[in-house]
Amino acid sequence: MYPWKAWHDSRSRVVVYILAALCVGALSGMDVVADANWHAYWRTYFKPRVFYNFNFYMDVTLWKLRESVYYGQIAALLAGLSLGASSTGREYGAGTMNFVLTRPSRRWNFVLTDWKVGLAAMVIIVSGLAFPLLPVLCWVHAQGPGNILGCLPSLWVLGAAIYGLSHFTTLVGGSAPKGLILSAATLLTYSFLPTALLEWWHVDMLVRATDWTLRPFESGSWPLSPFDWSVTAFWLAVAAGFLGASLAWIKWREV
Amino acid sequence: MNDLAIHTQGLAKFFGKTRAVDGLDLNVPRGSVYGFLGRNGAGKTTTVKTLLGLLRPTAGSAQVLGYDIRRDLVAILERTGFVPENKTLFDSLTPAQLVRFNQGYFPKWSSELVERYADLLEIPMQVPFAKLSLGNKTKVCHLLALCQGAELLILDEPSVGLDPVITDLLLRLLVEDHVSEGKTVFLSSHQLTEVERIADWVGIIEKGKILLETRLEDIRQNYRLIRAAAETAPAVSSPDLVAVQSSDNFRTYLVARAAEDFAAMLRAKGMTILEILPVSLEEVFLGLTRKEVPCIPGKPGTIPVPA
Repeated sequence: MYPWKAWHDSRSRVVVYILAALCVGALSGMDVVADANWHAYWRTYFKPRVFYNFNFYMDVTLWKLRESVYYGQIAALLAGLSLGASSTGREYGAGTMNFVLTRPSRRWNFVLTDWKVGLAAMVIIVSGLAFPLLPVLCWVHAQGPGNILGCLPSLWVLGAAIYGLSHFTTLVGGSAPKGLILSAATLLTYSFLPTALLEWWHVDMLVRATDWTLRPFESGSWPLSPFDWSVTAFWLAVAAGFLGASLAWIKWREV
Repeated sequence: MNDLAIHTQGLAKFFGKTRAVDGLDLNVPRGSVYGFLGRNGAGKTTTVKTLLGLLRPTAGSAQVLGYDIRRDLVAILERTGFVPENKTLFDSLTPAQLVRFNQGYFPKWSSELVERYADLLEIPMQVPFAKLSLGNKTKVCHLLALCQGAELLILDEPSVGLDPVITDLLLRLLVEDHVSEGKTVFLSSHQLTEVERIADWVGIIEKGKILLETRLEDIRQNYRLIRAAAETAPAVSSPDLVAVQSSDNFRTYLVARAAEDFAAMLRAKGMTILEILPVSLEEVFLGLTRKEVPCIPGKPGTIPVPA
């Protein structure tokens, strides 16, 4: 059945990504602890006034953890793009859509199945990055600087939205390369168009909107408000929108 | 139960200004082997794709196994085995894995048939599809279609890449295992000899319209070629006249029935009847679809003659 085929096609890639995520997560965890310890040692040895604040060790740890959230965004981006580009839409370019769509199942079922498998893989990859960091995250969480574990669902939802974009563009483009190019073009437009509007016409509305959508992932604001319901709901709606677009597209596109 | 496995009325599929299928009326009886013939670009594959929901019809209606193609597509696909024109399946899977993928969709799937056909057709079941030869790819497509317990088999160019031995075996399997059990085979092909061998009905399509739909037996018993000669050929018209071919002072008439009566009419108009011959499916097909080459002015040659 199609879930099995979808998993069969993506499993080797997913395993590599998970291993890479675990390695990056472990290295990042070691970096957090080592850097915090190094700064603590440095402060003890030199006793500079500038570091005489009350929770110095925690500050350094949090500062380093921000980098890990950055890695998490990269992981969500890469996993979402890559898994979306290897989804149902690829069958058009491979010439196998005839075969797929003459199996007795509703067309939307193939997209939904693909989504389930791709999304599960994406969540595992992003979580794989956080897994080696879990002891550090739990320790920091226990110190009470905010709900830093709540950052993970935001990354999942961001990954889901990117996966949705890549899945849809692959379906529209009909092949993985075309899907990736369309996705990259969309992401670059999303990143640069608001700034361009601000620079050229002094219109700041789009910049403010874009900043708001990326608020949970900004290192400056994190981890004071690591889980932002409204922004997470926005990305969830974006992901659902792309899923709906993919369902509509496969229903109407001819082979 | 409807007696027709496939029934279309005025079925049309346009791509912009191109009329790929243009008011097609098909009647494929249940339990028959129906040869669906046509030249390249005549509309065969477009018709097949429309029947299976891969393309949406522009106009007209169609029922497959009594189900409407617009409303009951899943029911149609559950009961229909399909071998597509391009024999492309998932490159990364082996035939054994393709069987595993496919069987979950079909409640009447037969694992016994898989074993039997894989053995008979000599299919390497553990080699990735991408590494198979074209012939073996075609065999795998047949294996998947034949084992799903379908009531209707739609085979688009079924013998592509197959050697004569396997083609012969496949045709026998189709007749012995499937047609004998009352299943319908819809064979879209250029291979007239294969169609002539197993089909009991034929439909000839040209420019998206059906030119001829009849029993093959009718062609064998009633269709005749009449070769006649005359200095100047008279104009003739008859409802039985299917096609005319001209060359110098000779005319070849293809008539659907009452060949003797038609010959008598030609004689009465001053023509000399040279011979009256039974026809093959190929001659009927060529007579209906051949594009006549206009002669070069001043030189004798083949000229189109209006019926």
